[in-house]
Amino acid sequence: MFQNYSQPLEFTNLTSWLDAALRENLPEFWAVFIELVLVGVVLLAAYAVLAMILIYVERKITAFFQARIGPNRVGKYGIFQTVADVLKILIKEIIHVNKVDKFLFYAAPFFMIVASVLTFGAIPFGKSLHAVDFNIGVFYVTAVSSLGIIGVLLAGWSSNNKYSMIGAMRSGAQFVSYELSAGFALMTMVVLSGTMQFSEMIESQAYCWNIFNGHISSLVAFVIYLISGHAETNRGPFDLPEAESELTAGYHTEYSGLQFGFFYLAEYLNMFIIASIAATVFLGGWMPLQISGWDGFNQLMWYIPSYIWFFGKVGFLIFLSLWVRWSFPRLRIDQLLNLEWKYLLPINLVNILVMVILVLTGLTLTDLF
Amino acid sequence: MEKIKKIILNIFADAVFEEKDKLTVTVNPKELHELIRTLHANEELPFDYLVYLIGMDWGEKLGVVYLLSSSKDPSKEIIVKTGTSDRENPLLYSITDLYETAHLNEREIYAMYGIRFINNPDMRRFLLNDDWVGFPMRKDYDANPEINPVSVVSKDIIDTASRIMETPDGLKEEIVNVFEADDYIINIGPQHPSTHGVMHFRTALDGEIVKKIDIHSGYIHRGIEKLSESLTYPQILHFTDRLDYLSANINRHALCMCVEKAVGIEIPERAQYIRTIMDELNRISSHLLAWSAQTNDLGATTAFIYGMREREIILDIFDKTCGGRLIINQNVIGGVMFDIYADFQKDVKAFIPYMREKLREYDRFFSHNVIALGRMVNIGKLSKEDTVSYAVTGPAGRASGWSCDVRKYQPYALYDKVEFKEVIRAEGDSYARYMNRLDEIEESLKIIEQLIDNIPDGDFLAKTKAIIKLPEGEYFQGVEAGKGLFGVYIESRGEKTPYRLKFRSPSMALVSVMPLICKNEKISDFIGIGGSMDYVIPDIDR
Amino acid sequence: MRTFKQYITGLFGGIKSLLSGLSVTWKELWIKKVTQQYPENRDTLVISDRFRAELVMSHDENNEHACTACGICEMNCPNGTIQVISKMTETEDGKKKKELDRYVYDLGMCTFCNLCVITCPSSAIKFTNHFENATFTRNKLVQQLNHEGSKLRAKKKEPISAQPVPKEKE
Repeated sequence: MFQNYSQPLEFTNLTSWLDAALRENLPEFWAVFIELVLVGVVLLAAYAVLAMILIYVERKITAFFQARIGPNRVGKYGIFQTVADVLKILIKEIIHVNKVDKFLFYAAPFFMIVASVLTFGAIPFGKSLHAVDFNIGVFYVTAVSSLGIIGVLLAGWSSNNKYSMIGAMRSGAQFVSYELSAGFALMTMVVLSGTMQFSEMIESQAYCWNIFNGHISSLVAFVIYLISGHAETNRGPFDLPEAESELTAGYHTEYSGLQFGFFYLAEYLNMFIIASIAATVFLGGWMPLQISGWDGFNQLMWYIPSYIWFFGKVGFLIFLSLWVRWSFPRLRIDQLLNLEWKYLLPINLVNILVMVILVLTGLTLTDLF
Repeated sequence: MEKIKKIILNIFADAVFEEKDKLTVTVNPKELHELIRTLHANEELPFDYLVYLIGMDWGEKLGVVYLLSSSKDPSKEIIVKTGTSDRENPLLYSITDLYETAHLNEREIYAMYGIRFINNPDMRRFLLNDDWVGFPMRKDYDANPEINPVSVVSKDIIDTASRIMETPDGLKEEIVNVFEADDYIINIGPQHPSTHGVMHFRTALDGEIVKKIDIHSGYIHRGIEKLSESLTYPQILHFTDRLDYLSANINRHALCMCVEKAVGIEIPERAQYIRTIMDELNRISSHLLAWSAQTNDLGATTAFIYGMREREIILDIFDKTCGGRLIINQNVIGGVMFDIYADFQKDVKAFIPYMREKLREYDRFFSHNVIALGRMVNIGKLSKEDTVSYAVTGPAGRASGWSCDVRKYQPYALYDKVEFKEVIRAEGDSYARYMNRLDEIEESLKIIEQLIDNIPDGDFLAKTKAIIKLPEGEYFQGVEAGKGLFGVYIESRGEKTPYRLKFRSPSMALVSVMPLICKNEKISDFIGIGGSMDYVIPDIDR
Repeated sequence: MRTFKQYITGLFGGIKSLLSGLSVTWKELWIKKVTQQYPENRDTLVISDRFRAELVMSHDENNEHACTACGICEMNCPNGTIQVISKMTETEDGKKKKELDRYVYDLGMCTFCNLCVITCPSSAIKFTNHFENATFTRNKLVQQLNHEGSKLRAKKKEPISAQPVPKEKE
């Protein structure tokens, strides 16, 4: 149905042309192989570039919240600051303290980075910019992203540092708890859209985003997902695993150079992943804002390419997360668990029930109007 | 006080009284504990507040000077002295069982003078390593660097403490373990982002919960008290700014007043006004930093930066007034070093409404935040009895319901002419301490408002002799610094340099109470409580 | 029921307090930033006149200073920052006279307590607000304050140094 609108800036033509060209000139196997390699390279490159952009944006926005101007020395407005930082991190020596469990110590950062890259691959960035479209997309993302916690636990355990150990243990408790809420919030939306596949979810939100469609229930699920997603990324006010005022740097205290860089990248990318899942599930993903029947308006919206819509929505959510992060003090471990087990989880359970009732009795917006 | 004298004479007929501005009693070491216990238990006016205890080397004798006071009326003071002529193995009786604040102070005296205290449960040296040769504050100390060379070898910390206990069969020396064998001990400090300086807490944890804290300090000890013994009074002044650098001006005020009182210098009215206003500005800046640091300890970095931004305005005013920002260097004996600059009043008056607005913003931003409340309310509870026993003064003491503001009970400078409220809360938790500071900022603003338009013309510096010599005697002056009672004790023998000079530092009391109030709290609250106590380490490592 | 009510009020009270916190940061996001861009702002940077950054000896256009080499500043300095090295010269009428040879000031030792300036009987030294004193080696911090070839300014009357600050009093 969207094909009726002109979409001048989409990559659809480029990707299908590339696919066709490869298949014409090469045997099936090699065509698929080359495509896989290409997709892999593009994803990895996007991963690194996104992380750098995110780090810059966070530093700048943080500074603005704090009456400062942030990085401004490297390049105009400091835009090359993260490039310089990355270069620095690359050439730093990788060291470890005495008596670390070397194998686990060096393996830990890879768990972190692999978990977030795997999740990253399943995100629909735009129309036809979607590497893998599982029919269990939501399930896959929740499953794979929770691998990262193993990296955190291993890092804390193997560092031979008591601070790291405490940080890792906190992290474990935190992750297990909030995984639950995040999962339930997503399940609520699965109930609403009736599918776990990201592409279908997005299509179903063409004229009414899920957050409006399920009104109260969706809104509650959205807020819960933002909170628990935020907690899963270990960022303030939920940054207990690395709480710098008591644990100096928590589980990654003993890491340096690229090893530390992996943790750092993964942290920022996890923030992005959480925001993009929220955008996809609740805010219609890359789908432009459309109103049923208003063809002129819809066409106008479609002139803005889908990936811009996607990044716009994600950007908004990331800003929200930064805003929260730089406004609140850190929670204590028991407050953190209280919030999850006493507030989020019961509300979530009620909410999923409400959603089921909404869907079954036909009280969602699309059913009503 | 005559009554007290009678009580003492009834029990100790041979106590020696000296008629000075404070009642002074000298007793022999055997009777000391009994005497202090009697005073402590005195019903009408219990002397339950140990202001300071000072190790002394009088040459022929080593001894201790105690200044006792009452929590009910801190203006009533009595000095008790005792001493022993045994320089090889000096032993005195500890009063730790009566005053908890004596514990760390007695350990400091052991490190500095070598006097050991019988019945003190943990007689390690405080501020110095156990293997230090000699006792630095003794007059016959050999400061030759070859005796105590700078060591570049890492030393293990030994968690055993020796002590001397009195048993029915005489004195018994014993060695006890500080921690239990299987304690999970982490070192918080000496390099740690949240210890507010080079402080070292050895902390035994049970999961997230703090089981026991052992305080180590002295990493930045500079020997200021020893140095002062060879410097003239105007020269010593610049050290005071470097003790509690956040209340630099107030500390310096104390030493100036102590000397002025001893010599009998009359301070010009204008200087009094400038001193009081500067003190209050200094207090605001100190409390602002305390607020910022506490919010930062709780993880709110943004609040920290807001606090620093407001503090900057005060520092700019200091900068323009006396050319120093942190090390203010303004008070001198006889008045102030610099007169106020032309726009001083204008700047300060512009600051007052700005600060008020920002205080409201802090309230909205942090004071009622549900996370912050959860991390401060009912955390780090300190009862009033413990407050007095540990001699915790300042905003922290007043948060436990103890009226201990020097500005109220012994007004100095212009504090008897201005109206302000002594902020007292009864809860004794982190939140009460936090709110006390914000409220005290408001009270300081009120004080400044009352003074700023009435600064009289005239001299800002009285004429003093070029060489200032204090008449023979002992002098003490206390002031209300940002963290509590800051006191200067001078014993003069009529020279241009003091025979003994001691700074009573409020931070030492604040730190000494940490093991008590942090017990059974979470480790993240330990940091938060530290922030609410607001100690400054150079004040301890004099 | 009561606990349930507490639960609900606690929840909404908490949310309200968090929102008011967010509103503060939102406002702060848009206000003027306070960062000072040093060294770009060197031209507009205002350093207070009274700011004590380094000790200098003022010389006039004839390369003459007011230091009589009396050594009071050296004596008053709490930590040996100043060294006044004097030499004896003979004046034309055959009298011996103490004159300043070198005035050595160690910036690295100085605590900027201002005692030397206050006690100087002839106001020969003062603090300036030139604060950019960073050097790469410590020995550059040791400075000679009297210029090369400078000499004592001749006083029309008795120099002020005769008046206050005797070295010892009775």
